[in-house]
Amino acid sequence: MYTLTESDALRQPERLHEAWDRPETFAFISEKNEDVGEWVRRSLELLPPEIQEHHFALLTSGSTGQPKIIIGPKKRSEALVETLHELQDSHPVEQTILALPLSYSYAFVNQWLWSRRFHRHLIATRGFAQPDELGHALDSARNAMICLVGVQVPLLSRFFEGREFPGVIRVHFAGGRFPQEKLSVVASHFPEAQIFNNYGCAEAMPRLTLRKAEAADEATDIGQPLPGVELSTDETGQLVFRSRYGAVGIIDEKGFTPVTPEMWVGTGDLGAQTERGTWKLAGRASEVFKRHGEKVSLYLLLTAVHRAWHGQAAFYREADKSGEEGHVLALAPSPKEEDVRAILQVFRKDFARAHWPLRIESMGTLPLLPNGKVNAAGIPAVPDRQVHWQQRI
Amino acid sequence: MENRDKLRRLVLDVFLLDPSEFRFDLRREEVQTWDSLGVVSLAVGVQETFGYHFTPEEATGIKSIQDIVDLLTARGVRFDN
Repeated sequence: MYTLTESDALRQPERLHEAWDRPETFAFISEKNEDVGEWVRRSLELLPPEIQEHHFALLTSGSTGQPKIIIGPKKRSEALVETLHELQDSHPVEQTILALPLSYSYAFVNQWLWSRRFHRHLIATRGFAQPDELGHALDSARNAMICLVGVQVPLLSRFFEGREFPGVIRVHFAGGRFPQEKLSVVASHFPEAQIFNNYGCAEAMPRLTLRKAEAADEATDIGQPLPGVELSTDETGQLVFRSRYGAVGIIDEKGFTPVTPEMWVGTGDLGAQTERGTWKLAGRASEVFKRHGEKVSLYLLLTAVHRAWHGQAAFYREADKSGEEGHVLALAPSPKEEDVRAILQVFRKDFARAHWPLRIESMGTLPLLPNGKVNAAGIPAVPDRQVHWQQRI
Repeated sequence: MENRDKLRRLVLDVFLLDPSEFRFDLRREEVQTWDSLGVVSLAVGVQETFGYHFTPEEATGIKSIQDIVDLLTARGVRFDN
């Protein structure tokens, strides 16, 4: 068993192919996670013998920041990309452009493994960290697919304003809130693309559902489970799954936990099934809390905010003056006065006061985790935040 | 900033009113967001803005924006144009 870093794989792509071909289980990690690399190496040594071959491991911090190692059989992930290939009608797709870290399970399976299985061309870029490089790849694209996370849509507008990339014919979103309200922006950059909401989580290795963008009007609608995936909710309302493609084990600070076929695995999201049989998200299980006796869902609030605001947005938690738990809305870039007014009108019309944020503030850009999600816990450390509105209590 | 503007700004902020909705004769029952937490929020805002602390009876007895003007005027705050 051994580890391979993302930078090694990008420098020498054949090393990742060799790792996939070799029987030994390997862990694929970002160089940014090198500080936990030793923990990964020691953890892998403790795996049961049946997992020490024909599996791979990815490191995830998800939205919580706590590192977890997710272990899956290579064959299951190959089966998943075959299923996705058919359901997403990826036959015409000739190349896939990386705009996310390759060690992110979404990019690793949907893009690297898919390109390997179907002999498509993988074009590695450093995403919005090097927008010129990404822009060049998009300009040169030919029947290409790209995987993005919702928080990158404002970056598309910022770096590629007015530019069209007709060579991109599939755009997939996962890893955070689906940018339903910004689909016109996405379509303006990718006029020839079909857009998909690919919901999942690292433990699912990584996909659970699929829907075409136009199949629903709400960001919270994640569509139908993939064939071979069952969804349900547990007693707390958390969305749970069983999947023929999912992980067989998880290592966290508590050690190794096997995932058996009959076991329901939590997604970390709250969910419910609609009358149409699709599933809807109702927030992160960890982002629902009580304020003045009301159950506040930051996910639902964020969905509402995006009806009035097309930049970046995130909530972070903070106690109010009386010590009661509350939340602060962070925007980027700085909004105009009418933008703030429009957001406040959304709160006023759709939510009781207990749901309103303690403040609305802005900064140049929101801090991101290595996987591209907003680092909400890091927002209070961003200097020079501007306050646009605040509650008196 | 004139005290009338300060009060207008405070009321817009506390009840999330659109500027076009503001009137000095606006009554509590016309403002859906003038709830119990709104009363507390208004009282805190008045203290921060005008340095006057409403008693609980005064705060809950306010029925209109004009009532706030009247209470503050009685405490020496001037709302002349």
